[in-house]
Amino acid sequence: MTIAAMLLLAAIGFCAGGFGALAGVGGGIIVTPLLAIYFGLPMHQAIGVTLLCVIATSTATSSMYVERHVTDVRLGMTLELATTVGALIAALMAHRINRRTLAVLFACFLLYSAGSMIKKAWDSRHAKRQEVIPDYTPQNYPAGLAASLIAGGFSGLLGIGGGPIKVPVMLLFMKVPLRVAAATSNFMIGVTAGTSAYIYWGHGNIRVDIAAPLVAGVFAGSLLGARISPKIRPVYILMLLISITGWLAAQMIYKLLTGGFQ
Amino acid sequence: MNRQDFAVDRVLSHTLKFGAYTAFVLIVAGLALQFIVPWGNRVAVAGLFVLLATPGLRIIAACLQFLHERDFRYALVSFGVLAIVVLAYVLGIQA
Repeated sequence: MTIAAMLLLAAIGFCAGGFGALAGVGGGIIVTPLLAIYFGLPMHQAIGVTLLCVIATSTATSSMYVERHVTDVRLGMTLELATTVGALIAALMAHRINRRTLAVLFACFLLYSAGSMIKKAWDSRHAKRQEVIPDYTPQNYPAGLAASLIAGGFSGLLGIGGGPIKVPVMLLFMKVPLRVAAATSNFMIGVTAGTSAYIYWGHGNIRVDIAAPLVAGVFAGSLLGARISPKIRPVYILMLLISITGWLAAQMIYKLLTGGFQ
Repeated sequence: MNRQDFAVDRVLSHTLKFGAYTAFVLIVAGLALQFIVPWGNRVAVAGLFVLLATPGLRIIAACLQFLHERDFRYALVSFGVLAIVVLAYVLGIQA
């Protein structure tokens, strides 16, 4: 691998990790399509490498959220019972699914994520930051566990964290404050992605030469992002991410229609 | 939130920081070293292994802290999650 390619991967990782930490969404979503479209990686390899980026984001940002007592560790641990099972089953299934089908599923998920980010940006137009976390008791564990099982499944299948599925359910059904839901999801995705990553590693789908510079970039980006996030309004970064996600979805669909991802 | 929650938070944030910084330093050092010495690449791989170990580490740390607080319910929950992660690891090796 040339130094230029390494630096490019590190830069992609830096942006994915930084944007992810700043906007409160997993940056992994832009890594998989970039690797699959522009680096010509087979879908399974692109997903395997992205799982490592998700672990890196989760580990780097969670260390700060846990320190600030925003993460609900007990809630996260309980829901992880379901996410890890979903991730394990889906990661095993993913290796029986062909590349094109995976690419179709991923393109659908990109569109869904773009939609959920647009909603998030729209909702946060006038919203002030929650400075103090209100008292709460998580409710409706069955709904939370069911959503976590599905989120874990998507994580194992597509290499994403699954935040866009878990956070709304924690917020609406379990009555957990938004900041706590986002931080707890962030803590969980590392464990979920780790579960899937072992399976992808076993199948030889984690390319070390690509993962190392990418993960280094993700660490730097998300550590920096989590540090400056309290001072920044996430709307502009969300808009940037929405544009990137939309563009990548369009590229993936174009490549699928022209017979790519074989 | 009570005092006990804060104790878990402290143990976990130290574990997460330790994992994050160790993996980061090893990977960056490995990437630089691979241009200088033939074994440089292995240092980066070691960093990726540390990264892969962090999910298991944070569960073990939480589990031990819950046991220390005699919160057996959540110690059991953590142990259950750990069992699934270990199962994935075993299945991954066999693949």
